[in-house]
Order: sequence, then C-alpha cells, then structure tokens
Amino acid sequence: MLKIFSSFFVFMILAYPQSALSADIAAGEARYKETCINCHGPAGKGAGSFPKVSGKEISYTTDKLEAYRKGIKQGSNSFLMFPMAKPLTDEEIANLAAYLEGAKYNVE
Amino acid sequence: MKSISSNLFSGIMASALIVAMPFAAKADGHDGAMDVPKITSEVVLQGLENPWDMAFLPDGTMFFTEKCKGLSVRTTDGSVNALYGVKGSSGYADSGDDLFCEAQAGMLGVVPDRHFDKNRVLYVYSSSTKYRGDGCKTNFEKCDGNIVMRFKVSDDLKSVSERTDIVTDIQYKPFPSDQPFGDPGAHNGGRLRVGPGGYLWVAGGDRHRGICPQDPKLLCGKVLRVDMDGNAHPDNNPPEGFDKRIYTYGHRNVQGIDFRPSDGKAFTAEHGPWHNDEITALVNGGNAGWDPAQNTGGRGECPDQYCGYEPNQTESMDPAIRAAYTPMSDTRFEDLMPATWNNNGYSQGTGSAAFLKGDNWGIYEGRLAVGIMGIGFSGTPAGSRIDMISITPDGLGINGIVRMPLGFSKRFRGLVMGPDNALYVSVDAGEIYRITAESLQ
Repeated sequence: MLKIFSSFFVFMILAYPQSALSADIAAGEARYKETCINCHGPAGKGAGSFPKVSGKEISYTTDKLEAYRKGIKQGSNSFLMFPMAKPLTDEEIANLAAYLEGAKYNVE
Repeated sequence: MKSISSNLFSGIMASALIVAMPFAAKADGHDGAMDVPKITSEVVLQGLENPWDMAFLPDGTMFFTEKCKGLSVRTTDGSVNALYGVKGSSGYADSGDDLFCEAQAGMLGVVPDRHFDKNRVLYVYSSSTKYRGDGCKTNFEKCDGNIVMRFKVSDDLKSVSERTDIVTDIQYKPFPSDQPFGDPGAHNGGRLRVGPGGYLWVAGGDRHRGICPQDPKLLCGKVLRVDMDGNAHPDNNPPEGFDKRIYTYGHRNVQGIDFRPSDGKAFTAEHGPWHNDEITALVNGGNAGWDPAQNTGGRGECPDQYCGYEPNQTESMDPAIRAAYTPMSDTRFEDLMPATWNNNGYSQGTGSAAFLKGDNWGIYEGRLAVGIMGIGFSGTPAGSRIDMISITPDGLGINGIVRMPLGFSKRFRGLVMGPDNALYVSVDAGEIYRITAESLQ
C-alpha cells in the first residue's frame, strides 16, 4: 500500500512539478497584490487594455509566466510582462497560478 | 559655564515655543480654522463592465456608459435601465449594429444637453463602423471610426430614440501596429462635456498615427467645440486652413476635460507616453505640442510612422531622454499651450478630471480632481490615485497637490461632479463610487 502511495506521489511530482500540490494560494494572492494588480486589476479580472488572468487552468498560467520569464514574446505587450516575470521563482509562479485559478473579485 | 548657558538658552527657547505654539497653530489654521473636510466613499453601482463615463441630471439621475456594453441610466429610485447597446450586447432597449468595442475603443463619453429639461437631448461618443467607407484599408489612411451621437431620452427614462450622428469623422486605428499597446482602437480620447456656453466639447486622441495631432484637417488628436448639430462654434479660432470644429490641436490622448468654476476656463487631463502626463489650460486655437510624426522635429523614421514611444519603445530609459526626443509639449511650436502640470517624468496614466464644486469640499473646493491609472512600468510607481490639484489663476502652474484620502487604490477611469456636490468615480474593476466631502466647520 505504501509502495502504491509513494509511486503515485512521485508520479504527481513529476507530472505536475508546480501544481497545487505545493502551491500556497494565500502567498499567491499576496504576491499578486505586490505588482500584478496594478495592471490586471483586483483578483485578475482585467482592467482597461490589460487582459483578465483569473479563471485559467494552473498549467496555462504557469506556462505563460515561465515563457515571459524566459523572455519569449507572446503578444504585442510582452515587453510589459518580461520585467514583471523575470524575478519570479518557481514557487511564486506556482502560487500565483494557484491563486488566479479560483480568484474571485469582491468589492471592498 | 558654556554648558549651563546653552541649557539655559535651550530652556528659554523651549518655553517660548510652548507659549507661542497655540498662536502659531491658530495662524496656521491647525486649531480648526483650516477647513479640511472629512472625505468618505460608498459604492453606488457594482458589477459593471468597464464603466467609462457618467453624466447627471439635476435630480440625481445618472447616465453611464460601459465600454463594451452600452448606455444605461440609474434613476433616482436606484433602478437601472439599459438604453442603447453596442452590437452584440443584450438586455438593452435598443442597440446600434455599427457600434463596437475593441481594446481601448468602445462606448465612451456621455453628457446631457444644457437644455435637457426641455429637449431631452443626450450626447454619446462611441466607435462605429458606419462611416468607414473605403478609407480603412491600412493604418495610414483617413479611417473615420469614432462618432458623436445625439439621442432623445424618453420621459420615463426607459429608452432613447431619434439617434442622429452629429460628428462622424473622428479617426480610428483599424489594425495592430508595432507599438506598445499596439492593438487596434488605440487613443480615442472620448470624453464629452458641455461647456459654460452650452456648446459640446469633444476630447480626441492621436489613434497612434504620427501625423494626426498637427494635421489641419484630421480630427484625431484634437479637442472640438461644436453645437448640438455638430457644427463649429462660430468663435473657434484654429490656425488658417484648419477644420473649424477644432478648438485646440496637438493632443495625444485627452481623457479628461472640465471647466474651472471661477472663470469657465477649459482644462484637459492627458494620458502621456512613457515619460509624462499633463494637465493643460486650453487656449482657443492653441497647440498642446504633441507631434509624434516621423522625419520632423529632429527625428528620423519610426516604427509604423509613429514616434510616440521612441527612441526606445520597450526598454527602460531615462524619461528625460524620451521627453527630449518626442516631448508632450514641444517648445518649437510658437502657439504652444504650456502644461499646467506635468508628472515629473512619470507616465502613470492620467485619466478623467473634474473640478470640485461646493463649499462642502472646504479647502479643496475649486481644485481639479484627477484620476490616475498607473501601470508601474520600468521603475515608474503605479500610483493609482485621485490627486486634488490647486491650479494658479493664470492656469499655467500649480500651487500644490493633495492625494485624495480614500483608503483604497483602483484604476480611476471616469470622474464627474454630481448635483449633490459629490464626486462620482468609475473604476475599471466595475464600480461607480460616490465620494462625499463634509465640511467640519
């Protein structure tokens, strides 16, 4: 039984290295509010010219942020994202992706 | 002995200060003589989609636009009627199949006629496909795609009718370009206001086309002053050869316009490029000094013939170098209207603006409230806020700026005074706030 569980755990780690398995949603929200909120608005709902980033699958957000971090262009405003994504650690990306997947906007 | 003298002197001075403090405080107004109002805010509407502008009737009825949805009205009992939608919208009493939204474009400004109580006339600014003709095949043509519509509002505030398009030839950007924020639909201006004389003022943007702001005929990058049929005000005084509807030219993207209560003077708030934002006191026929055209002003060729983000479109750079290359207010123009205020080299996205009216605003009465929609790029702090700017009587400078103490920070898109002397503010997140000031004297 222990063997099966261990195998499953290893499989999950390999398959989803930055998945919600280790993600801290609260830390993701805190990181989001440091910089991302200025353009993408509260809870990632989008604002003005800046797209909605909430409600996306974790893998989607993770892939996007990793690509921006590498400096890979993904649209006309990629240059705005490069400096934002560059300092992000794997852990921060995982946390942000986990937070944004289910982020809901409540008027404060 | 030296130490004793020093201590004695210090003691005397401290006593003198303690004795003098109440008088100094009184002279400075700190004992209550200075009327600093208590400012509070509440949400009036929420769950909206990019609310852009609002307009009031004297009884508190509030018209408002949502950029990608349409025109609605909040009646005095708090109910909301959806009046006129853009193509594809649902739930509106009527809609325009030619109206659309795209990136920064959509249904933007709204304002009632000064005789609304008699004629029920309302003006609305929007992007439209109706007048494009065959002039929109590239980004380098006269593509007419922003319009001003005139409506008649029903007595029960449930519908609008008699749509008449009174300005049909404000240019639009139809295709993407090699610029930051290079999507179609860039820089439309879009704010509408009625001035002291009852004429309609239309704020424009350069639509990412280099020649727009200084071109005598194109309406992009201009502020218009027209009558209720879209005809030029007879006293407009643009340079020889210009379209007579033009009040001022040389603008980048005018997001705010209002009139100083003390003298009726028009002021614009303008969204800057990477290096600045500006407030400008308008002069009839004047030039705001924005000229992003290539091969002029010492510049060479620029991406897609637009130098507005040069000499380096996407990398960090000293704002002073950018400002020298493509200034917001280029001093080579003899008819330049110098800026009242600039943002110290920052571009944080100056949005709408409204003069604070009513003595409930205390020491802030008469200041220009300006919404800032910062994006925090390249070392510029985001700084989303509302500033209250005290402008000098000649309109050419400021006395000071106080940040409105709201306790929250959002992208403040539309600002307008209500008939209750409260400031109404729309934010990109979807709310319209009512900000009240209470004099404590």
